[in-house]
Amino acid sequence: MPNARVLRDIKARNIVNANEILRRAYLYVARNESLSPQVRHQAQLQLNTFGKYTRPTTVKNRCSESGRGRGIISEFAMCRYQFRLKALNREIPGVQKASW
Amino acid sequence: MAAIRPMRLASLTQTRCSIFQTAYNPTSARTGAKYLRARLRGPSMVKYYPQEIDMAAMVRQWPELQLVNHAEEQRLRDVEDRKKRGKGAPKKAKRKEDSRRANRKR
Repeated sequence: MPNARVLRDIKARNIVNANEILRRAYLYVARNESLSPQVRHQAQLQLNTFGKYTRPTTVKNRCSESGRGRGIISEFAMCRYQFRLKALNREIPGVQKASW
Repeated sequence: MAAIRPMRLASLTQTRCSIFQTAYNPTSARTGAKYLRARLRGPSMVKYYPQEIDMAAMVRQWPELQLVNHAEEQRLRDVEDRKKRGKGAPKKAKRKEDSRRANRKR
């Protein structure tokens, strides 16, 4: 069972995914200078009604093993310590300790 | 060499836009096209964490298979043990005065 922060992040990811197309459409209208200011303002007001987790910037890559939020090696979706543990255990294909 | 007139340059850009099917936007006005052009990020965002098997949902979905959620059974056993040792959750207060919060020392 992942920890609460990871659960919250999963929730945010799902909500972002569900609202992305609609948000993009409103963004297009709001940022389009060729449309009338009234229409653009209405679109901006609609954008403001979206929830906190519909914004893609609320999503944070966390460690898929421990849930840690810092020191993430994004290629493996793991924090540096879990990456080290797994790599030394040879659980990550194609990764081995450097030696020369 | 004579300088090329701006009008000629503009018509050149216009022709280039019509050939390569790009939008002719001489004043660089913001059209918001970048929000439509950008790829959708949601599908890859959802796939970031590896899928976990939800045992509780499976038990609920197929009761005829008689699956056992070991983690949940263990949790319930632990709660029982804690209750026996008098370390269970406190009773819900019936009235406001009964609540532990109200009797708390400050």
